[in-house]
Amino acid sequence: MTTTFTVPLEPSGPGGGSPAPDTAAPAISWQGVRTIAVLELRQRIRSTRWRVALAVWFALVGLVSVLIGGAFASLGGDPKWAFGLVLMFVLGLGLVVAPTLASTAINGDRNAGTLAILQVTLLSPADIAVGKLLAGWAAALAFLAVSLPFLIWSALLGGTTVGGFSLSLTVLALMLGVVCAIGLGFSALTARTAGSSVLTYIAVASLTVLTPILFVLTFPAVTTTEQVVVYGATQEPTAGDDSYECTNFTAEREVSHTERTWWLLAINPFVILADTGAQPGLDPEDSGPFEAIRAATNEMRNGPPEVVQECWWESQAPPTFDDGAPIWPWGLGANLLLGAAGLAVAIRRLKVPYRTLPGGTRVA
Amino acid sequence: MAAVPAILARDLHRSFGTVRAVAGVDLAVRPGSVTALIGPNGSGKTTLLLILAGLLVPDHGSVLVAGADPASSATARSRIGWMPDAFGTWDSLTAFEVLTTMAGAYRLGPEQGRDRAWELLKTVHLEDLATAPAHTLSRGQKQRLGMARALINSPDVLLLDEPASGLDPRSRIEMRSLLRALAAAGTTVLISSHVLAELDEMVDDAVFLSRGHTVTAEQLRAGAATRRWRLRSLDGPALQRWAFEARITLVPDTDAPDGAGSVLVDLTDDAAAAALLAAAVGAGVPVVSLAPVSGLLEQAYLSLDTDRR
Repeated sequence: MTTTFTVPLEPSGPGGGSPAPDTAAPAISWQGVRTIAVLELRQRIRSTRWRVALAVWFALVGLVSVLIGGAFASLGGDPKWAFGLVLMFVLGLGLVVAPTLASTAINGDRNAGTLAILQVTLLSPADIAVGKLLAGWAAALAFLAVSLPFLIWSALLGGTTVGGFSLSLTVLALMLGVVCAIGLGFSALTARTAGSSVLTYIAVASLTVLTPILFVLTFPAVTTTEQVVVYGATQEPTAGDDSYECTNFTAEREVSHTERTWWLLAINPFVILADTGAQPGLDPEDSGPFEAIRAATNEMRNGPPEVVQECWWESQAPPTFDDGAPIWPWGLGANLLLGAAGLAVAIRRLKVPYRTLPGGTRVA
Repeated sequence: MAAVPAILARDLHRSFGTVRAVAGVDLAVRPGSVTALIGPNGSGKTTLLLILAGLLVPDHGSVLVAGADPASSATARSRIGWMPDAFGTWDSLTAFEVLTTMAGAYRLGPEQGRDRAWELLKTVHLEDLATAPAHTLSRGQKQRLGMARALINSPDVLLLDEPASGLDPRSRIEMRSLLRALAAAGTTVLISSHVLAELDEMVDDAVFLSRGHTVTAEQLRAGAATRRWRLRSLDGPALQRWAFEARITLVPDTDAPDGAGSVLVDLTDDAAAAALLAAAVGAGVPVVSLAPVSGLLEQAYLSLDTDRR
């Protein structure tokens, strides 16, 4: 049976009153973000699992810090390395923990039937996504806060300045936030929580492990034989004369254009963090691991020199590039873009009403 | 229809892949009424409610809920309360916190949110469990909390998907009176349920869905269809004799446990039932009871020539 309606299809009040002005919901609001963040954090804090995880973390970082400190004390090594090693350890552990903090935030809620009831409210998709991201990030920062005593202790052994210490910590905190944002994006994309967790770990592994491997594997591909300017000896020394004449000449040499692939190193979280700790203007030869990593990455970034040095017996001309230039703004920028992409995906996938449903999911 | 419908849907269609979940729904729900949404499993009730709640875009057709399009309007959102058939709770939050969170999601101030949360906890009789974690609540208590959650924004239109499942009889009666009170205060309630006998006692109208489309929109209170009644007597043969003499067609009652003492009879309305009862008693038949075999909704539901999917 078909019913014909004589009522005009125009917005009007439920009692037939004057049409209500439709106030568009704000794209994002502090109240909405706070509501979600508080909700998420409350749930997290109350689980005993969470306290156990923090305790285990504290014990682990403490143990490793003490071992590192002890090793330097007994072996008489340079204690400047201690801070770098503890920092790298905290980053490594953070990259293992951070994916778990946000990678099930959206599909987990959808499976538990607690997502749709928020989507029908006045909360915007951005409120929900940013609130969840902030909660995940805050949880990651709690792990960082727990390791702070050991980081400060190792920093006091030397090897960094107050400025360098705060920069390292800020960048470390931001990197953990990026991992949370990537996890959030995957949790919006996949129906199953296991899937998004695995994808997030793959993403983190790609950034940390796969990038140096790729850099090495692509090395032959960027290595070519070219005509280059060489500064070196052109002829054998004449008998009785030990002096070589060094001049510029053009010859075929193998050169590696690592300026095309250096970014593979720059986006690596460990390289980024190492770079934040590097002291500007220090000679890489007699300073800590940070300066060495920065110098090496800068060398790759600049690619082959304009003039290939082959005049070994003359004093080396100073490098034509600045090998003390910071790498981390590039790497951090790229990672923040990845995080922003994750967040954007999450916001997009949270928009209701749904036109198409993610495969294998129900709305409610 | 005089007033503008609180819910108005015209020619709604929605498919999921090859499954046509909603295929031609026309719906007009009077403001301030309690309307039942009835249909077999898989007839599109939940999908229809999702569209009305603004969670799904219909492939075709138009919807107005509380005077606005739920798909694009914040106004509609703030006026709709929705309780899904299956929902989770934030397990580690207390019942009170669940409601204040929802109040925040509807942009109520903290003070206002707390007041509203308390008010609703009292309404659904969960005030004793206000500080209990939600995971310790029983299924029925969670169901009541879900109802309170749907009411947090004082909606004009309340969409309830199987709200009575898991409720004990007392809670069902309380829900019935709550919904009637809400309707009396002007709230429009659209409720889907399988417990037809219960709906019978509280709904004003009913909408039947079958295979994704509306079959008939009945005005139950106005309707006066022939119903089947059960007549029970202490003396079966006496009843049979009297019916034969009075030329009343009796149908054997195969469901009854007491056999010959119970028969079925089709009657047009309540007046006919009263007349029949008076006649039988007058003729000396020891009548025990005369009552409708099934509720109006059940009868209408069963008369729908639909098969289950």
